[in-house]
Amino acid sequence: MSTAYLYDAVRSPRGRGKENGSLYVVRPIDLLSQSLKALEKRTSLPTNLVDDVVIGCVTQTGEQGACIARFAALQAGWDFSAPGVTVNRFCGSGLEAVNHAAAMVASGFHDLVVAGGVESMSRVKMGSDGGAIWEAETQWTVGGVPQGISADLLATLYGITREEVDQFALRSQQKAAAAMASGAFSRSVVPVIDGSGLPILEADEYPRADTTFEKLAGLKPAFEMMGTQFGLDALTRRRYPAVERIRHVHHAGNSSGIVDGAAAILVGSKEAGERLGLKPRAKIRAVALSGEEPLLMLTGPIPATRKALKKAGMSAADVDLYEVNEAFAAVPLAWARELGVPEEKINVNGGSIALGHPLGATGAMLLGTVLDALEDRNLSTGLVTLCIGGGMGIATLIERV
Amino acid sequence: MNQKLDVGEIEALFGGERVFASDVARVWWDGATGQALLILKMEGRANKINARFGEGLAEAMEATRALSGLKGIVLASGHRDFCVGADLEMLYGSRDAAALYSQVRSLSALFRSIEQGVPVACALTGTALGGGYELALSCHYRAALDSPELQVGLPEVNLGVIPGSGGTQRLPRLIGIQGALENIAQAKILRASEAASAGMLDSLAPDVASLLEGCRGWLAKNPGRKQPWDSGDFVWPAPAPNSEEGRNIFMVGCAMLYQKTNGVFPAAEAAISVVQQGSSLQFDRALEVEARRFVQLAVSDQAKDMIRTFFFHRSAAERHEGLPTLAKGEDAGIRKVAILGAGMMGAGLAFLCASRGYEVVLKDITAPALEAGMAHVRTEAERVGKRKGAAAAAAILEKVTGTLENAPIAGTDLVIEAVIEDMKIKHRVTRELEPLLSPNAIWASNTSALPITALAEASAHPDRFVGLHFFSPVEKMPLLEIIHGDKTSENTLARSLAFCRSIKKLPILVNDGYGFYTSRVFASYLLEGVQMVAEGIDPVLVEWAARSAGMVVPPLQVFDEVSLRLGRHVLEQAAEYTGRGLPQATALLVALVDQHGRLGKVNGKGFYDYTQGSRGYKRTGIWTGLTELTATRQTAEVPALARRLLLAQCAEVARCFDEGILRQYRDAEVGAIFGIGFAPNTGGPLAWMDRQGIPALVAELEALAALHGERFVPATKLREMAAKGERFFD
Repeated sequence: MSTAYLYDAVRSPRGRGKENGSLYVVRPIDLLSQSLKALEKRTSLPTNLVDDVVIGCVTQTGEQGACIARFAALQAGWDFSAPGVTVNRFCGSGLEAVNHAAAMVASGFHDLVVAGGVESMSRVKMGSDGGAIWEAETQWTVGGVPQGISADLLATLYGITREEVDQFALRSQQKAAAAMASGAFSRSVVPVIDGSGLPILEADEYPRADTTFEKLAGLKPAFEMMGTQFGLDALTRRRYPAVERIRHVHHAGNSSGIVDGAAAILVGSKEAGERLGLKPRAKIRAVALSGEEPLLMLTGPIPATRKALKKAGMSAADVDLYEVNEAFAAVPLAWARELGVPEEKINVNGGSIALGHPLGATGAMLLGTVLDALEDRNLSTGLVTLCIGGGMGIATLIERV
Repeated sequence: MNQKLDVGEIEALFGGERVFASDVARVWWDGATGQALLILKMEGRANKINARFGEGLAEAMEATRALSGLKGIVLASGHRDFCVGADLEMLYGSRDAAALYSQVRSLSALFRSIEQGVPVACALTGTALGGGYELALSCHYRAALDSPELQVGLPEVNLGVIPGSGGTQRLPRLIGIQGALENIAQAKILRASEAASAGMLDSLAPDVASLLEGCRGWLAKNPGRKQPWDSGDFVWPAPAPNSEEGRNIFMVGCAMLYQKTNGVFPAAEAAISVVQQGSSLQFDRALEVEARRFVQLAVSDQAKDMIRTFFFHRSAAERHEGLPTLAKGEDAGIRKVAILGAGMMGAGLAFLCASRGYEVVLKDITAPALEAGMAHVRTEAERVGKRKGAAAAAAILEKVTGTLENAPIAGTDLVIEAVIEDMKIKHRVTRELEPLLSPNAIWASNTSALPITALAEASAHPDRFVGLHFFSPVEKMPLLEIIHGDKTSENTLARSLAFCRSIKKLPILVNDGYGFYTSRVFASYLLEGVQMVAEGIDPVLVEWAARSAGMVVPPLQVFDEVSLRLGRHVLEQAAEYTGRGLPQATALLVALVDQHGRLGKVNGKGFYDYTQGSRGYKRTGIWTGLTELTATRQTAEVPALARRLLLAQCAEVARCFDEGILRQYRDAEVGAIFGIGFAPNTGGPLAWMDRQGIPALVAELEALAALHGERFVPATKLREMAAKGERFFD
């Protein structure tokens, strides 16, 4: 097996995923094709050499249905010979796209693959693609609860307090604000523009630099009513009978933001890069997937990280920086406790709590973020991991070259 | 000829010409209006859905449709009820999925053909439940007599199945998913007025004539009417099942159901699934989805066990089958009832007896207790007043005399003694008051455990001394455990049973012994729960294990409700009478009561912690200090704990046969299910034991006995059954 290299990574800024978000007026295909174009431009990519365009997208319906990867590439003016595939591994989709690309390159089947992701949560509502997860029958055969209740269950099981999650959220905001002020994202972020070239959004718009601990502490737990009054907490007891009562600690301020965005990464073999005269920025050291109990769902990054480290023959301490997706504050907190990683190494530029989590794009975005952060700090290795619906986890370990 | 047919009111009112008659139905034809009346009247006492029902209805429909100029049909019943559903004998015996499926499909096809033909108006003069209401749903219009006796609903999940003749598909399309889920998954039975406001009936009529006129008028005004779901412009009642709100209703519906039933009622779960799945399908195929799931459930053990107990055993108990009866024409001779002790039970009984027309004296020894009891009677009477009018409430109150004196008891025909559970006090009360009673009076003790034979020692007439063990809250709990003391006469039992019937309680008749049947089994359950906690098992898991076994109330919660002090007293008393006890569990209770002042809900701290709310104490969770009083924490698996809780009870049930307490199998099931909240999903302890297999059960009990003590030692009854390869039920 040969090695897959990362040649470059770009992303759109993240817009609030609501009707008042800047990117609400942008079609998902436009979001993605602008990222593809930006990547093409920055790497002078001859698109006729692209073996595949692998795009993560979760809610593949409506404007995001029908293999958006192919049509975004075509709209970007890419050569007809560059095909496209859209993958859905829920919140791991963007990273799945990268890993899939890396696997095809490392195996030697492909030489050059563009990976990435897109999600316009403002235009294509999360969950609007339906699915068995919404069916009563699946409740009886598999069992599940809305993610917020899983997050609160996770916090309860790990004894993570409301203060801890709020403090974590506050630090996510502070780190994101500092990163934006210092230009930490400027290498990757490409503004989204309209047809006349006017900017629609130039920088991430979700963070709230003015957040205080008091403001966060004042927010009501978002899933308490659903859990207690509508009885959804009870559904967790089939697997967690010892949890008599779930402590509801999560709210909009300490959970990932709903945003729009897209990302694209060029993955290729050493030879392909040399042919194009590109210098690789990093190589993929290991990838991993995991599956665990689907009702709790959010612990996936723990086994996924362990698996990736094991494949690479490394210990948790050997990795310089981590991106652990902040789906809910309890996720990186529980992960850090299990892996024994100090918080200074985790999400150094803030995470999805501050910046937002454009489902299918996030994995690819986080990979670009950790790469930029490693370069800024002149460090070597970084690991990206995300929790995934259905109890899955995904991880990618990279090393700068 | 018409006279011979015993023509009912509706037929007489319809008039016309009889054009069809069979053992299932007859049809009357009014050529002038083009309207026919189809009367369902199966041979026997009721219309029951079975193979003959389907054939007969099909023949009658065919004959009706052959009428030239037919514009509409009024469908009604010639029996008291319209139809209360499937012939349960047939369903109970049905184990062949393929045969049942074809039966269900052909009935479903018949109902489908009814709704796809000329308009049919269903005139309900009596109750329509299950398949009966499903037939009504297949009609284009549903009218009913506005009678409090007339009931409507789809209660199939109570018998471990779902509606199988279109109910899960027609009802949601008629009244929306929310209402349909509530009705089907909760097996609701509605009164006519409630059903009308829920949209399950289109109109109500004050009498048969206007009911018929209403149906005929509707048919005249709606020629060629189709079902909404068969019209091209069908729109789901909001919220549509596939809308976001609709999806949330299904999700919350699942959660609410699980919160109540903890996953032990697959039929209720299937009902939600089938409503949802069918909602997006072509209608005929949706019916197929329903039928397939119905059959899967109907052939299951759970359906058989639930049908046996909730239908056969229950109705046999309601009919007093095999129980002592009065001679023909003989009267129970009970007019005046005295209730001794005005606590929750005494006051409830006073209300109950008064509302059934008895003259009631409610006696206590302290004024505050008496006043509290009378206040309870007034509250209950007011509730009746709201439903039936002030006169009804006044009639009840008029019957009840509260007193602190003995004199008003003079001439009483039946005493129900509900004083403190103390043999000496009970003896004293008997000696003191028995001489005041009417000559042939019955003395009944409502003791929950003390042996009746011993209590009767204070009586001059032990042949007229009986145990009438009611359950709290007595207004709601259906069971009455009647205890046959050694000297209780057959006539006293027969009179007691007649009284039982008059107050609409469900009887079991057992022989005497400490704790009789129900208290004894219930105590074994409660004690096992406390024992587990004392052993160091997480109390949260113990409570959950009980619920996941299907037990209606988890054991520690029961202790908190009845108060730990009382619980402890009962345990000590049991040990005194039976020489058996669980020292470790008792010690925990003693520590809770004596050292920690934890008495239960009564003082807002027991096994659980409480917060003081507007309506009294509300449980917040297991007291965190509890584990400090118990042995070192032990790990445990919920399924094993759940089995242990059921096995402890089953071991006791089997011993009740060894000791001659139980006289018949039916009483074991009825007493456990309706008296002490034994897991209804099992059909009862005997059905549950059958399902384990008696030899395997004996082996499991022996293993538990080795681990936990002799309370698990299998009774001789079980060993003999195992040796002979017998089961309780075939």
